[in-house]
Amino acid sequence: MFKKLLFIILMCYSSANAIAQQREVEANLKAAFIYNFIKYINWKAPADDPFIIAVIGTSPVYNSLQEIAKVESINGKKIVIVHFNNPDDITPCNILFISANSAYSLSSILVRVGKGTLTISEEPGYAEMGTAFNFVLVRDKLKFEANPHAIEAAGLKASSQLLKLALIVK
Amino acid sequence: MQVFTSVIVLGLCFAAFVISHIKDYKERKVDSMTSLAKVIGANSISTFQFKDNDYAEQILNDLQQVSPEVLNACILDKQQNIFATYTRPGSDTFHFTLPSPGAKQFEFTNNSLFIYSSIINNKDILGTVCLRTDLKELNDIKATQYSIALIILIVGIGLSFFIAFIVQRYISKRILKLANVMKEVNETGNYKKHVDDLDKDEISTLAQMFNQMMEQIFISQQKKDEFIAVASHELKTPLTSIKAYLQVLESIESDETNKKYVNKSLESVNRLQQLIYDLLDVSKIQSNQLYLNVTKFDVDNFIDDAIAEFQFVAGDHKILRSGAEINHTIDADRQRLEQVLTNLLSNAAKYSPGSKEIIVYTEKRDQELLVRVKDFGFGIAKEELNKVFERFYRTKTNSILISGFGLGLYICKDIVKRHHGKIWAENDGNGTSFYFSLPLNNAVKSK
Repeated sequence: MFKKLLFIILMCYSSANAIAQQREVEANLKAAFIYNFIKYINWKAPADDPFIIAVIGTSPVYNSLQEIAKVESINGKKIVIVHFNNPDDITPCNILFISANSAYSLSSILVRVGKGTLTISEEPGYAEMGTAFNFVLVRDKLKFEANPHAIEAAGLKASSQLLKLALIVK
Repeated sequence: MQVFTSVIVLGLCFAAFVISHIKDYKERKVDSMTSLAKVIGANSISTFQFKDNDYAEQILNDLQQVSPEVLNACILDKQQNIFATYTRPGSDTFHFTLPSPGAKQFEFTNNSLFIYSSIINNKDILGTVCLRTDLKELNDIKATQYSIALIILIVGIGLSFFIAFIVQRYISKRILKLANVMKEVNETGNYKKHVDDLDKDEISTLAQMFNQMMEQIFISQQKKDEFIAVASHELKTPLTSIKAYLQVLESIESDETNKKYVNKSLESVNRLQQLIYDLLDVSKIQSNQLYLNVTKFDVDNFIDDAIAEFQFVAGDHKILRSGAEINHTIDADRQRLEQVLTNLLSNAAKYSPGSKEIIVYTEKRDQELLVRVKDFGFGIAKEELNKVFERFYRTKTNSILISGFGLGLYICKDIVKRHHGKIWAENDGNGTSFYFSLPLNNAVKSK
């Protein structure tokens, strides 16, 4: 009886561990994708400002982005990762990653986002609702949707190299 | 030789042409395939960044339209794992292995060209594009090139044969003509002979120079002949009167010693006179003025007379006649033919000092008179048998000891020739035989 219980606990623990590992891999991949997006977007920011990537809501992606920011730069500019708890905190930034864990509605976030900010989400259907890019899983593979209108509305331009890989939504 | 040279040159040219053409084709192929691989590489950078191998395969699949000669294509990632792969429909799959770093980025095998191109983004190598291209086209080109080269080579050889044949005929013909004229002049001594060659190249220059040379030789020859003619004529007159006075002196002289000296002088005068007559005959022959005084006479009578007359001056030698009686008359210049026979006898006596006999052998053969004068003397070297009939020719071995100008046989030959006969010499082991033959029924006209 005790053994059985121990076994179940161990199973739960190990599976939870495996899930956590898988989540970390996914977060790393998403962070890498976000970093790669930067290269295919035509930014209009002034030259000397640091490049700001903001994350709203708690997400392991934040940590992954921090890791990238430590070693990489964008055209010689430093990458700064910031975290917002709620939409009211939002300050001007280059990229806003809307975590699936964010407790706020998308619309309440989007109204706070200024021009020149690229919004990236990870919730099915968010691209249709107005984010520029949205991560989706297709056959267990990480893909991304792109909303050209939202990109254009943000005053940015995405390269065709990027858009050809994206699932375009309208 | 010309043809061989042209074949070698043509062959080398074609080999160089074909090799450079194939090399050129290969270089162009490598260039175009490398460019293609680079474009694929550049297009697949984003697929690497977003791990989208589906789209990478789509890029490779476009090769089917863009470059159907690509058999296999593959994009390998940094760890050389396959990221995307493509195989032309109907072809076998192929597993690429990368060449060692630093090696050439392309490789030719029997039927394929392999191209390896790194995908580089901001100095990071993301992976490698590998292409395997069918070289069937190259083999087709090679086959056509070789066959074209072979055909042109064969045509070229044929043409060069043809041209060489024509040129050779053209040049050789003229040179042979020149050589023939030279040979003829050498044999006949007719320096008036000219070579007609009216072209404006080196051969005609040679011919013209030859003609000029011949003219000069002819002129100097003529001057020499004139001199001999004049000199001998001028010598003849005083000599005749010397001889006449000596003969008178010989008949009236009674003192033995004086008579002996007069006879010695007469002998010398006779020799001198004979020489002058010979020289005069030669100049007559040269100027074509030796005329025959033809009469009808009996051959046997003529030969016996000539022998008897020569026996009178022959000294130690005994002249014997052998062979059949001819019993035939001949129309000829008796005096000139006597001159021939006397000349042959006197040569026979001169060149056989030790022996006692000279044989005159006569024979009638096929309506021809054949006369053979045989001595038992030194003999004549084989290569000199024909030359002894040339003007001023004297045999090399024994002539120093024996007096003479080398004119007698030359005159004999001419006289016999004018009688449509032949004269020749033979060696017969011990001594020499001189022959002459004359047609018995072929009337010779007086000239």
